[in-house]
Amino acid sequence: MIRALKLEWLKIRNYRTFWILLSMYCLALIIICFGGMFFLEYLKSLGADFEGLDPTILPIYDFPDIWQNITYLASFLKILLAFIVIISINNDQSYNTLRQNIIDGISKKEYLLGKILLISSLALVSTVFLFTSGLINGALYSHVWGASFIFDELEFLFAYWYDIVIFCTLAMLLSLIIKKAGFVIIALTLYTFMFEPIVGVIMTEAPFMKNGIWPHVAPFLPIHALNDMIPVPFLKYLFQEIVDNIPIKALIISTGWFVIYLAGITFILNRRDLKA
Amino acid sequence: MTDILEIKGLTKNYGKLKAVSNLNLNVKQGQVYGILGPNGSGKTTTLGMILDVVAPTSGVYNWFGGISPIEARKQIGAILETPCFYPYLTAVQNLRITAHIKESSPNRIDEVLEQVGLSERKHDKFKTYSLGMKQRLSIAAALIANPPVLILDEPTNGLDPQGIAEIRTLIRDIAADGKTILLASHLLDEVQKVCSHFCVLRKGVKLHEGAVNDILGETNEIEISATNLQELTDCMNALDAFDSVTRENGQLVLTTREGITSEQINKHCFEKGITLKKLVTRTKSLEQEFLKILQEK
Repeated sequence: MIRALKLEWLKIRNYRTFWILLSMYCLALIIICFGGMFFLEYLKSLGADFEGLDPTILPIYDFPDIWQNITYLASFLKILLAFIVIISINNDQSYNTLRQNIIDGISKKEYLLGKILLISSLALVSTVFLFTSGLINGALYSHVWGASFIFDELEFLFAYWYDIVIFCTLAMLLSLIIKKAGFVIIALTLYTFMFEPIVGVIMTEAPFMKNGIWPHVAPFLPIHALNDMIPVPFLKYLFQEIVDNIPIKALIISTGWFVIYLAGITFILNRRDLKA
Repeated sequence: MTDILEIKGLTKNYGKLKAVSNLNLNVKQGQVYGILGPNGSGKTTTLGMILDVVAPTSGVYNWFGGISPIEARKQIGAILETPCFYPYLTAVQNLRITAHIKESSPNRIDEVLEQVGLSERKHDKFKTYSLGMKQRLSIAAALIANPPVLILDEPTNGLDPQGIAEIRTLIRDIAADGKTILLASHLLDEVQKVCSHFCVLRKGVKLHEGAVNDILGETNEIEISATNLQELTDCMNALDAFDSVTRENGQLVLTTREGITSEQINKHCFEKGITLKKLVTRTKSLEQEFLKILQEK
């Protein structure tokens, strides 16, 4: 385990592109976490109000709701971490260092393990970063304080971590299939933010589909299932009821996809000839 | 001597193309084994299969009498075709990765870089290197774990004449330490100068296998010359000991009959008052034998 992870660390430690991407990602996380109050101030300046209430008193940074709010928003940024994974896999393929690594004496299984550990570590760094940001924002704005509130609903941080791991594993699979980093980045971005959401809406809303089984199929789509793990939190401020725990169904479907991705990666690694 | 590598019935098909066909090989400890063949004859595919980066269609191979291939690869220093490193890392950083995978100490990095003559550039990024320097770095990487077995695929590819000579000296030095070397090359001269044993591949089929010394050796052709070439020619024709006497590039080439030695020729000339300025028994070159082997099959 340590050996496989250290190999990945040696590869990225002196890689400037990696550090630039990671810094950009952290900056984006900071903006998302700390920007909430500024956004509400902005809404107020536009004269918006919620049934006569001033937007700035919306308790978005109150414990424990803060965890669902920030993990929901920050999970959109996982695409940036996926770019790091795509570039890392792509380097190993285009520089033929995947082949050289294997010639030098690691197994393909160990190579996969190294990449999954790299992904898990990046997700962990992100989760810890988000947890710290949450604590700071909560300390600044939360109307309630105390361990029972602060450490409630921390399962959203787990869901956040798991979401990133699965998404980046999908990115790894795509990088192995498509091989060209630019294409993978475009394909993954379009699929995540356009194709699948549109297909999902068609399945649930189109007149010729919404009475069939299609609305029940939509939650099984890979990105849909990932997004379902952290339900949209903000509706609670408009309607009083909201799902504020991780739906088990989404967790199981996502895990299913995770297994499929890992199987696909293993299949490709074992089957492909690594000729120059 | 123990078998370092045993290959049995190794075959690789790419669709209809048979890249390697039912190959059997045994490499023993201490041999410098050359795999000789024209481009596209299956050399790199064979090395790829025994290094587990190309899946064989059929057949088996065993390293060190049958230990796990992953453990075996840690004891093998191998380069396959072009040097493969991270362009954004320096030589030292790249070798640290190799040493980490091979579970060997990074202390040898400076030593191997010295050995291949890259010390001065060791903190420069790989992408700034010339082809020759990249090739040297890959040899350094192969040496990093001080492995008992080296696999070198076209190790002098892209080097200048001085670099080629240095690498060949390096290979001979390594072989003198008792290491086993498997060398693939399309350069006959290289195999002849470096290897103790060799096989010839063509279109994935092994045409010949044996010791380099068995196939080389003396021929029955002797080159002589003297200041007065006409007098020498007459003298040799008078001797009636040769199948042919031909003049070639200012010298005579004699095809001797059975039992005639260069010593006898020298003595005869001396008695006739002719002083030879050149007397050489021609040796066979691998090139001639290689072409003969290719023609025979």
